[in-house]
Amino acid sequence: MGALVYIAKRFGLYLAVLFIGLSITFLLPRLMPINPVDGYIGQIQSRANGALSAEAIAELRDNLENLYGLKGNLFTQYVDYMKRIVFSFDFGPSFTYFPQPVSQMLMAALPWTLSLLLTATVIAWTLGNLVGLVAGYFHKKKAASILEFVGILLYPIPYYILAVTVLLLLAYVFPVFPLSATFPVGQMSWEKVGMIIYNSLLPGITLVLAGFGWNILSMKALAVATTEEPYVIYARLKGASNWTRMTRYVFRNALLPQVTALALSLGMVFNGALLTEMIFSYPGIGLVMRAAATGGDYNVLYGAITISIIAVATAGLVIDLLYPLLDPRIRHK
Amino acid sequence: MARHSRTLMLPMMAALMTTTVFAQGAMTDVGTPRSETMIVQTFDGRSSNPSAQNPLNSYAIWRGFRELGWAALWEMDTATGESYPELADGFPEVLNDEHTKFRVKIREGIKWSDGEDFNVDDIIFTFDTAFKYRDKLTNVSSITRLVDSYEKIDDHTFEVTTATPVYDFVTRMGVYTWGMPFNWVPQHVFEPLGDEVVTFQNAPAVTLGAYKIKEFDPNGFWQLWELREDWDESGWNIDEEPAVKYVYYKDFGTEETRALAFVQNQYDVDTFMSPDSIEAAKARNPNIETFSPTFPYHDMNDACSYGIYINNQKAPYDMPEVRWALALALDLEQVGISAMSGQFKASPLPLADTPITNPLYVEPLESWLEELTIGDGYKPFNTDFGADLVETLASQGVDQSQLPSGEAVEEGFGIGWWKHDPEQAAKMLESVGMTKGSDGFFTMPDGSPWVLEFVIPGDWNKVLQRVGFSIADSWRQAGFNVNARQVDNGEFGTVQTTNARMELQINWSNSCTYNVNWQNSWRNFRADNVLPADSNDALVQNFARIVDERIFDIVSESASLEIGTEEFVENGRQIAKYLTEDMQMINLMNIPTTIPTNSTYWTNFPKQDNFYAAPYTWWSSFKKTVTNVEPTGQ
Repeated sequence: MGALVYIAKRFGLYLAVLFIGLSITFLLPRLMPINPVDGYIGQIQSRANGALSAEAIAELRDNLENLYGLKGNLFTQYVDYMKRIVFSFDFGPSFTYFPQPVSQMLMAALPWTLSLLLTATVIAWTLGNLVGLVAGYFHKKKAASILEFVGILLYPIPYYILAVTVLLLLAYVFPVFPLSATFPVGQMSWEKVGMIIYNSLLPGITLVLAGFGWNILSMKALAVATTEEPYVIYARLKGASNWTRMTRYVFRNALLPQVTALALSLGMVFNGALLTEMIFSYPGIGLVMRAAATGGDYNVLYGAITISIIAVATAGLVIDLLYPLLDPRIRHK
Repeated sequence: MARHSRTLMLPMMAALMTTTVFAQGAMTDVGTPRSETMIVQTFDGRSSNPSAQNPLNSYAIWRGFRELGWAALWEMDTATGESYPELADGFPEVLNDEHTKFRVKIREGIKWSDGEDFNVDDIIFTFDTAFKYRDKLTNVSSITRLVDSYEKIDDHTFEVTTATPVYDFVTRMGVYTWGMPFNWVPQHVFEPLGDEVVTFQNAPAVTLGAYKIKEFDPNGFWQLWELREDWDESGWNIDEEPAVKYVYYKDFGTEETRALAFVQNQYDVDTFMSPDSIEAAKARNPNIETFSPTFPYHDMNDACSYGIYINNQKAPYDMPEVRWALALALDLEQVGISAMSGQFKASPLPLADTPITNPLYVEPLESWLEELTIGDGYKPFNTDFGADLVETLASQGVDQSQLPSGEAVEEGFGIGWWKHDPEQAAKMLESVGMTKGSDGFFTMPDGSPWVLEFVIPGDWNKVLQRVGFSIADSWRQAGFNVNARQVDNGEFGTVQTTNARMELQINWSNSCTYNVNWQNSWRNFRADNVLPADSNDALVQNFARIVDERIFDIVSESASLEIGTEEFVENGRQIAKYLTEDMQMINLMNIPTTIPTNSTYWTNFPKQDNFYAAPYTWWSSFKKTVTNVEPTGQ
């Protein structure tokens, strides 16, 4: 019974977070000092080098407001938006690329973002935690200081600098990877999959390096603190081996906050990695969101942000549901 | 698993080898011979929706469509500003005195890229579709408002009646400077779609130009065009086979990556690289060239000029004394040096000073500028602007061999600009009761603080961003409390169209007179395109907020004049005079867009001393470049 109440409470909180998130998402783009209709007209005018007459522009403006669903008051637009998202998960057409459905644009970009970021996040988390654990457990040894130094060295480097440095080294000075990758198109084959993996290595390495440092430092700090806990000392006095103490006593207890961080990072993956996509010419959702934000493409923003909200909220829910399994203290409560 | 590992390793090794070979220049990364491929940096970076290729809606235009894919009834020779027939067989016949009815013949034997004939049925079908779905298609209003009716005469002749008299039918239905507002679509592809034509993506598009789409990246980074085997039956009307077999548009990423890739000869033409990066790339690769061999390297004879647009309706900018004070307080020499290392051509009139516009507008108004007086008889024009700039640049260590001398100074840096005279600026402000307060800044006439809101682009237009900050700095030094606000391009557009949000904005959209037809840029200076000063409604063009009735009258009167007659051109000069003498906008310089080229694989790019076309890769006239470049044999 207690477990059911626990789950119901968490699920209710999850739905409330989604509702508030979606409502804010609706309002936020409309507070931007950008009008998507103006943006589109500006583009068309520029392409025609002013050849559009005032009458043509007025006709276009009227049509666009209708097609974009921007006529009517804000509340009516809000109700329409919620209905579309809740009942059919439909974000409507992109404004900038009308009438292309937003879902198509996002679905084209998401697999790229997810495959790169999920892989890089998990690798960075795993490596960082393992190195951090060793550095923390053996924190009085010189070798541990060296491992910690790696974390301290990598963590503060601004991502842009790190990425450009990696690019310079591995694509210009030692041209092992392409400076600007070209991803193969058309029917996939193993050869093309190989090419995609090869082209993704450079951004992947950079993301791992960027995420690695934080994981080392945080796990090291947790491991140091846990190593001093009475139950670890007791285990040592009982004659438990270093390996047992490190993996079963320290690692398992230090892991909880790290699992939370991992779950939230995985949820954030849906936001894309704008800088990575820009620097490495990698396709993904970050560039789609950037173009939408600068062009006032409300529907694309709704789509991308909604997916991200759902991902983060779901990650939170999963953590809440998993905690009792991982931590007997919570299970006991 | 082991088999899969081997399968994955093989392409990785192949990729490594491809990279090496690519660097050596044998093949491109899309599998075409490098020696037959011209590679161009895309204008807009990555496209979010490259599959959108239906020109009746918004589409991925910057992937080479108007340069290589479409063809126009009449194209423009951007070296002379003259139109020439492309799909059309000659120029249109005007059928009535009111200039509302035109007969157009199209060339016989033109084929679409899929081999089907192009004829008047395609044109009539496109008109029909535009009118039938005018409320659902988003890129047809230019034609639905221009054209009243149309009729097929025979397979190669049609007639059009326009809604109002039109004297520039050739450029309204064809190309003015960089592109046509409307494109023809193939009836045999679109007609079977019925109502679905409004959502049709049209990828890969069937096109009319000499190149056809070979492949495109659904992720939006690149598009590859291939020369059609039947190029001589394309819409381009060319006699010689282009040497370029493939044109590869690709986004090479951030400026840092682009500069490195350019040095490695990975592509041939860049766009918008900053002067600093070009300088660095040039130092590492002698094949990288700027547009001019001497200063200013990057004056490309652009169609437009940068200027400061002023909300002429808002106090205190509604007073010419204030506008002139802003112009005289602006140290353009310092701005040009700090923002662009001196790489610019000044232009005091509200248009770009190019080989085409100079004899039409600039040279005839030069003596008028010299004699112009303001206020108490003060002569604001500085004819020595270019010579002073040369002197300053030389004193800053620029090699004399890189600087123009003699008559070339005027050709390079322009006929002059306004004097930098903060004292005279202060006098003009004082004449309308605006004096400096205790904080050292000028106040409003009633003594209240005056903060100038100056909107400039953010890093989406780095050159203009730098120019904007330098101008703000110049004004601040002269006692103007200016707030330079950098905005994203979406907000830039909103400020441009909204009176309530706009005081001062750096802009270019109303100063794009490219040739004798000044109407294209200024026809929207009309009384019905003026909104109240505090309006939140969107302006329709007239972004310079021109409210001068004299200009409205000239624009109206000129609408029924033959383009190119002396009376028409003189009217354009008069508008330029009115705009200038009341400083209704502060024109600064020709747009110093940067188009460096790399001559490792291709030579004979358009340059200042070889100006056979505007050098832009995103203008439809880029077809001239593609058909004129020569392989180096590398």
